Amino acid sequence: MIDLKENTSPIREQRANGINAYFGKASELVKDSRDGNLVHRERAFQQNSGCILNFYLTVRVATIRDAVMIMHAPVGCSSPALLYREVYRRIPAGLGRPEKFDFHWLTTNFNEKDVVFGAVDKLKFAIQEAENRYHPKAIIVLTSCTSGIIGEDIEGVVNDIQPEINATIVPVHCEGVRSRIVQTGYDAFWHAILKYLVKKPQKKQKDLVNVASMLSYTWQDRMEITRLLGKLGLRANFIPEFASVEQFEMLSEAAVTAPLCPTYTEYLSKGLEQEYGVPYFLNPSPVGIKNTSEWLRKIAYYTGKESLVEKVIAAEENEWAPKMEAIRNEFQNIKPNGEPFTVLGSLGQGRLLTQTPYFHELGLSMPVTICQDFDDLVVDDVEKLVEEVGDFEIVVNTFQAAEVSHTARKHDPDMVLSCPFMGSAYKREKGQTRIHALRGDGRKWSTQAGYTGAVACGSFLLQSTKNKAFQKTMLEKTQDPYHDWWFEQPNTDYYLGKKE
Amino acid sequence: MAENNKIELYPEVVEAPRFTCALGGAYASALATYGTVPILHSGAGCGMANAHGMTFASGLNTGGAQGTTSTPCSCLIEEHVIFGGEGKLRKLIKSTIELMKGDLFAVISGCVPSLIGDDVDSVIKEFSDQVPIIHINGAGFVGSSYHGYELFLEAVIDQLLTDLPKEKKLVNIFGIVPNQHVFWKGDLEVIKSLLESIGVQVNTIFTDFSGFAALKKIPAAELNLVFSSWVGIKSAQKLKERFNTPYEVISSVPFGPKETSNFLQLVAEKLKIPKRVISKVVEAEEKRAYRFAEYMSELFVVSVPHAFYAVVADSSTAISMIKYGTNELGWNPQVVILTDNPPEEYRAAIVKQLTENLESAYSPKVIFEIDSHRIRLILRENTFQVLLSSSLEKYIAGGELDAIHLGVSFPIYDRAILDRSYAGYRGGLAFIEDLTATYAGPM
Repeated sequence: MIDLKENTSPIREQRANGINAYFGKASELVKDSRDGNLVHRERAFQQNSGCILNFYLTVRVATIRDAVMIMHAPVGCSSPALLYREVYRRIPAGLGRPEKFDFHWLTTNFNEKDVVFGAVDKLKFAIQEAENRYHPKAIIVLTSCTSGIIGEDIEGVVNDIQPEINATIVPVHCEGVRSRIVQTGYDAFWHAILKYLVKKPQKKQKDLVNVASMLSYTWQDRMEITRLLGKLGLRANFIPEFASVEQFEMLSEAAVTAPLCPTYTEYLSKGLEQEYGVPYFLNPSPVGIKNTSEWLRKIAYYTGKESLVEKVIAAEENEWAPKMEAIRNEFQNIKPNGEPFTVLGSLGQGRLLTQTPYFHELGLSMPVTICQDFDDLVVDDVEKLVEEVGDFEIVVNTFQAAEVSHTARKHDPDMVLSCPFMGSAYKREKGQTRIHALRGDGRKWSTQAGYTGAVACGSFLLQSTKNKAFQKTMLEKTQDPYHDWWFEQPNTDYYLGKKE
Repeated sequence: MAENNKIELYPEVVEAPRFTCALGGAYASALATYGTVPILHSGAGCGMANAHGMTFASGLNTGGAQGTTSTPCSCLIEEHVIFGGEGKLRKLIKSTIELMKGDLFAVISGCVPSLIGDDVDSVIKEFSDQVPIIHINGAGFVGSSYHGYELFLEAVIDQLLTDLPKEKKLVNIFGIVPNQHVFWKGDLEVIKSLLESIGVQVNTIFTDFSGFAALKKIPAAELNLVFSSWVGIKSAQKLKERFNTPYEVISSVPFGPKETSNFLQLVAEKLKIPKRVISKVVEAEEKRAYRFAEYMSELFVVSVPHAFYAVVADSSTAISMIKYGTNELGWNPQVVILTDNPPEEYRAAIVKQLTENLESAYSPKVIFEIDSHRIRLILRENTFQVLLSSSLEKYIAGGELDAIHLGVSFPIYDRAILDRSYAGYRGGLAFIEDLTATYAGPM
């Protein structure tokens, strides 16, 4: 039950027993979760991993087209948003990117006086300034550790000033110190969107499908999803990135909310169903041939396109499945004795559920995986996953670079698929490449979603096996930041403390 | 007018200022000191924010082997806000020393420990007999990344340095803030080799492979050079008081032959290097630089001759660009917008550097402005053919402003800057290569 009377969502630790440290088999993780044995364990060695504000909330919110983001924080918290004028611009307008758009954000740029005397007047001023300068439809206020610790009354400001402001003010409680689990930031954001921005439906739009798109899904992924939904006579409502405020307002009018990442979307999906009766599903996401078909089937179920969808799926699978088969065959022949090609994926919970079946589809084996965090929301799905692809080792950590490097050396898979900003784990003798591209990438090469994405990504992964010079050279020629003993001992969880 | 009055009420409420926080500046400085392991005592997102908004924003760089997600961090949350973060920090320092290779460990405290009153210095004392370790109190609200750089130097001076005998003709380089000065790596290497060519030993600190040794050597210098009209002067003053080292403010990194020759002559004067040594170097280098400049003359005269130009940059980069563009390329400076928010007392000297001794009949308007939206409005009111700025103006330049654009100042998201430099005799040529790459084609 989502309580929109509250100022924000509960943290993931509370609402879903979220943890960010676990080392073991996926089956054990499921069991521990079911038995209530999952508890937070503190690391004696920890690396910077992102907070609920700057695990990309900043760079997402800054791309909402007719909104202004206000960071109520010291100046450093908003620095990732310096990319705001360039992100999405490299995508040619010919690919459906609007010609004209502008993003704006302000920082209240705390100084020493502010932390002593408070900065609510400064926030009010910033809101007025945003309204006067840019005439936005929404003003989204992001909070910070500092605004939280000094006890800023954000709701007081909003209630005070909203009557004089045309834009809808949307305060998001993403104080970094609130939670260890970065996904709390998503929940806090969706809570604010549901509470302040989504409007009561004027009319139901039977052909509208809400799709919460991720930073790690590219423009080509949007185009592929748009193409597939188009074949069903449906339209995608992509939020939050690069969306207009109107797209948020009309979330309540959609026929269904469909996932690209189940745990990213979950809070929004549940909220839209609870408040406005918009149905949703959380699995699967449209990654790989099989799951893309399944994804389309589920959408068709909610939009009355059941007979049409089978025709679309048949035609698409007919076209793309043979290409996947060719890639699969090539992967099978990489190792001389017919052993499966092994990969280590660095994944979020969502990609754990979407990428793993895809690897399976390609005939790749995933003996071990790294997952950013884990919570109750995906227990059933992970259990199903284990049934489908077999058991595997799982390292739950949020960007812990030393543990990632250790895992890569210890298990020594044929291919390490790393997130951007993953430390030095890319330096190795064997294969390495990126797990995903990013939203500003408009190239077909980088597609991952849908049928074309399954084939493009498979080709990409094959391509990555053909030359190891970069990672080998960097391994040989640069110094590792960790002492040798770290790699000589077997325990990736060496610094994990006892259960608290 | 009403709006202007309001602005004065809270001048720091701005769109996209071109710097990050004090923690960011100290973090950048620690990462730039090769072999140093920064330890962030902060929320878990401070390092990530600065990875995206500082290192990656300065020519798409990572922070090196100890940067980005490799940086140890105490990742403070609510329970630490209530019970304190000292215990967590103690464990983190202990494990970091065990696990990570480093000559120096630099604990950088952010907003959270400052607000909750952690006694970080006491925690650090427990380790000071095991490894070299310093503490920088870099709460984000105490100032910008420029201030963070000075806090790092202050911590080094106070906690690390001891008296050393002076070494003849040894100089330290200050004022070039890693990442904020997007060409910091290349420029430091160029300055070093320029000075070495006239027999001066250079402690660049940041590009040196033994960063810790370079820091400790600071008191041995005969002279400190500050390549900024304001950043690093405080540190130089402190070093003068403590080690009796004189300092010289150079204002900016010398771009192109003329400024480079002026710079070498100035240093020679200070260090009493014979004129003939300098003349020999200057003559040979200038001959080469201008010979190669001849190869670009057709392209230059057809594409960007006597252009009106605008510069949006930190004051040091702006001075470099104004002197080179105006006094070598024959451009006409239209407007200079300074984005580094220099303290009031330094502003007159910066304006002077930007407006005096220029070859052009025009003297540029000089405006101090940190608000990216206001900067855009100012640019719209001016006419120019070349815009040298951050990449924030990349997509505005062509459409709104009808100008050729090259990114030369923070942030730079539109190209990788690894060891690029426009400093020194060859710098002008590199600049022309980069500028014309954005525009040139067959005639």
